[in-house]
Amino acid sequence: MQTIPVVELENLKVTLGRREILHGITCRLGVSGTGKAVGLLGPNGAGKSTLILTLLGFLRPSAGRARILGMDCGRNMGEARSKIGYMPENDSFVGEMTAVNFLRQMAELSGLPPEAALEKAHEVLFHVGLGEARYRELRTYSLGMKQMAKLAQAIVHGPELVVLDEPTNGLDPAARRRMLKLVTDMKEEQGMNVLVCSHLLRDIEQVCDEAVIMKDGLIVHHCNLEEERRSNRSFVELEVTGDDRSLRMALPEIGAEGVSEGGGRWRIVLPAGVEVEAIWGLAARQNLLVRKLTHRRDTLEEIFLKAMGHLERTPGEGAALEAGSA
Amino acid sequence: MVLPRYAWRRLYQQRLVLLLTMAAFIWPLLCGGFVYLTNHVELLQGLDKGFREFIQVDGRFFSIFMYVQAGCAVFLAAMAGPGLVAPDLANNALPLYFSRPLTRWSYALARLTVIVGMLSVITWIPGLLLFALQVGLAGGWWFLANWTLGAGVLVGFFLWLLILGLVAMASSAYVKWRVVAGAVSLAFFFILAGISEMINQVFRVKWGHVLDPAWSVNRVWCTLLGVEPPDGPGALASMVALAGFVALLVLVIERKLRPVEVVR
Repeated sequence: MQTIPVVELENLKVTLGRREILHGITCRLGVSGTGKAVGLLGPNGAGKSTLILTLLGFLRPSAGRARILGMDCGRNMGEARSKIGYMPENDSFVGEMTAVNFLRQMAELSGLPPEAALEKAHEVLFHVGLGEARYRELRTYSLGMKQMAKLAQAIVHGPELVVLDEPTNGLDPAARRRMLKLVTDMKEEQGMNVLVCSHLLRDIEQVCDEAVIMKDGLIVHHCNLEEERRSNRSFVELEVTGDDRSLRMALPEIGAEGVSEGGGRWRIVLPAGVEVEAIWGLAARQNLLVRKLTHRRDTLEEIFLKAMGHLERTPGEGAALEAGSA
Repeated sequence: MVLPRYAWRRLYQQRLVLLLTMAAFIWPLLCGGFVYLTNHVELLQGLDKGFREFIQVDGRFFSIFMYVQAGCAVFLAAMAGPGLVAPDLANNALPLYFSRPLTRWSYALARLTVIVGMLSVITWIPGLLLFALQVGLAGGWWFLANWTLGAGVLVGFFLWLLILGLVAMASSAYVKWRVVAGAVSLAFFFILAGISEMINQVFRVKWGHVLDPAWSVNRVWCTLLGVEPPDGPGALASMVALAGFVALLVLVIERKLRPVEVVR
């Protein structure tokens, strides 16, 4: 069966005035109907918002093509929009409406019949935790409640794709956790595809399956976080007491490579599929007493910093290189 | 019709709008009484014959009716019109609307429909009711001889409502604060009337009137109702000027009603 990417860009260029913001981006993100989240990362001015606005049909490409759920963002935008939910970064609401009326109107605009729209409005408001405040006017809401109301309007019509622009902006830690939990539920329980634009790496790392890093109007890194999590050459910092001279020769038993830093300290790189428990077993067989075992993987932050050019290589890559050369 | 339905509900939740709408029915009721009197000559027996001949339901009667209702419509549009668009702009709600299957033009048309619908209640609907009352009281022969008056009321008011609706939308698209937007849409008519008069006085011309949309609409009404027109440019020139105003206002709306403001 042919898979339809959630977002497909072909040499996409967007120019605002005389300034070219996106310089010919080509990529395929996500797979439609799989309930996965794609994170869009990048520093300010990287072109993230421009890309989102182009995908929503708010900006016209100067060259190339953008498709969303297989539909052209220029020609089939009307059809595509009924399948998209959008949560903008800034405050966006109709202040004089109650939350339930606001959501009902938005659901009806997306094509739901009035009765179904009302039912969904109540249901979604309870789902995002605004059930008790659903008859209050939106202008009386706090910042956190407005964020939740924005999320609610984005999902009220049950879209296939939800585009979230900085969803945790201005939220306190508890509200942030709740927002990320809702996003996770959206993809895992309701099967919605999610495109999250954020500069908060932890948020992306927590909820996304794919990440795209943008810089200066270009995609500089595209990684499948799920695969990275699974297959990333994770490295272990090990500290042992005892005679560890034979450890280097024993490491290939579990497919690992390592380098001694002296004083019983080792940096070991584990291949894909080998868990840290194997080190414990190996140390026991070598009669070594493990004093410290730090198992860490490359974080998204390290991947991001490398993509931005602030790091030459991620710690994982560095350890692998050292282990290989040792 | 989703947007007009919700907007309509919000509109009549404003007490001032409701009060002004009700006040705007006073003049049509008085005119209705006038129509009744002119068709019951027995009630006017004591009056001078010349005066009885003077009070007729004709083009002049409908033009006076329309002037007053058009004035009420200006104030009602200035009060209620900006409330339909300005809050959406002030609260940045346009991206939410336009991320749904709703184009900018269908949004603008929906808002215009609400303004025109609201003003219809006090303009062409009572106008046609008066016309129907006169037909009912005077008989079919009157309709055959004067049906153009009914058409004139309808077309004339629609022209005015189009201008009012566009001015209200354009002003609220420019000024996001509702009260100021209302003041701007009132000022639009007064300032242009002043400018047109100034041009006429300074250059000793008459064509300056076309810069006053109220004057131009009035000039078109005179032709539609068969009333002696005021001194100045003709109906065609006035129509061309009005078309220019409409184009200008549509351009302003097109520029301002965007989901995102792009800083170039």
